[in-house]
Amino acid sequence: MRRRKLQEVKTTVSEMFELPKDIMLNLPRISMIGNNQMLVENHRGVIEYTPQKIRLNSTIGVIRVEGQDMNLKNIAADDVMITGVIKLVEF
Amino acid sequence: MLLILRLWNYIVGYLVIRVDGLSLEKFINLTISNGIFLWGIKRSGYTTMTACISISGFRKLKGIVRKVRCRVRIVDKRGLPFLLVRLRHRKMLLVGLTAFLIILYGLSSFIWTVDVEGNVEVPEDKLLNALAKYGIRPGAFKKGLDISAIENRLVIDIPDIWWVSIQLKGTRAIVKVVEAAQPPPMVDKDTPCNIVASKDGIIHEMVVLEGQPMVKEGDTVKKGQLLVSGVVEDPETLATRFVHAMAQVTARTWYEGQAVCSLEEGLTRRTGRKVVHKFIDMGQWVVEYQKKEIPFKHYEVEEKKVPFFGEGRFFPVTMIVREYYEVEKLPANATLQDLKEIAQKKAMEDVNKKIPSNAKVVDKQVKYDMIEGKEIKATVYVEVLEDIAQEQKITVK
Repeated sequence: MRRRKLQEVKTTVSEMFELPKDIMLNLPRISMIGNNQMLVENHRGVIEYTPQKIRLNSTIGVIRVEGQDMNLKNIAADDVMITGVIKLVEF
Repeated sequence: MLLILRLWNYIVGYLVIRVDGLSLEKFINLTISNGIFLWGIKRSGYTTMTACISISGFRKLKGIVRKVRCRVRIVDKRGLPFLLVRLRHRKMLLVGLTAFLIILYGLSSFIWTVDVEGNVEVPEDKLLNALAKYGIRPGAFKKGLDISAIENRLVIDIPDIWWVSIQLKGTRAIVKVVEAAQPPPMVDKDTPCNIVASKDGIIHEMVVLEGQPMVKEGDTVKKGQLLVSGVVEDPETLATRFVHAMAQVTARTWYEGQAVCSLEEGLTRRTGRKVVHKFIDMGQWVVEYQKKEIPFKHYEVEEKKVPFFGEGRFFPVTMIVREYYEVEKLPANATLQDLKEIAQKKAMEDVNKKIPSNAKVVDKQVKYDMIEGKEIKATVYVEVLEDIAQEQKITVK
């Protein structure tokens, strides 16, 4: 209950001051270049990785990426770079 | 950013590992949560994947491997450190490499070519000799040359040049020269003279500065014809004056160029394919280092000589490049048109030699003649605009 309230306050504050929400609310930041590169920052680990399907954990739940010949080009504590042919991104 | 990272990884060295296990995702998560950086992860099968990892990261993997119960194998070692280890067993290669670098450095600290630019009147030999006197010559050591002093000395030594700049670019010394401007020839206004036509033509434009015009625009004139007279008669007093006539007379003139192309000669055309043979000519020895067989039935040969540095002065070594161009016989129906083209090109070359450089081309016409069914003659008529004014002294009786 209290936690939800805090979240609401954070949302309004970040909107009021136009602060980036990914930092304020601890959300994943996803940027894609075409359909062959995808950078997910602020993730919470890899749940599943096959060349056809990648599932990443994040604060808003599981991010599912489907495609072909997908590789994890870079992986560090809080960001993953996926390359390959991406066909579907689902939350 | 990524390039720098990759370069860094290459310098520090990294490993390509193969991980076999059932929960590979867990392996990935554990490595990154331990602060080990992984990249280039590729899953090749259900239980295997390959990834790149730094050497220090690999050492930290032990605990994770035990936890996840997977097997890690090194597939490849990449990067500079591993390359150096391999090089350690090949000492002569290193010796050769260092020798190469030293020789390269040594040779690049000499001047090998001297290029002189900008001289028109002053002969190049004179400049080169003067430069050589102060140490700028092929084979001279670059260090210790006082460029600005040499520049000053040159200007003093050769009075015909006003300014010199010497630039050392690699092994090349570029000498730029500005020559002293010669004053324009004095127009001797006291000697009376006429302006006559230097060529046949039709007057296009006349600008008379001094004198009595004898022709007008549109007139046809012959070579030697009087254009502007230096004898001026005053209409009122009828007294005659002798002046130095000055005028600019632009006229249309014609030039003709001819070329003959025989059917047999013109029947071949280069196909664009060629084979190059290269020789190194060292005076007595000729080394062929690139010799292929010529796969063409008909070909033409062109030979070029490419001197090595110093224009063959230090090293009497030249490279001979012999190019064999494949030629093909043209099919009979295409020949006439192609022949005309070839003949026309030749004729144009011929006529271009005759046209002075300051003339402006106005019109061009080509005529073709067949000679006895064997040859094609192309005649090119080019109409140009040029100045035909020529001074001629008047001898006053």
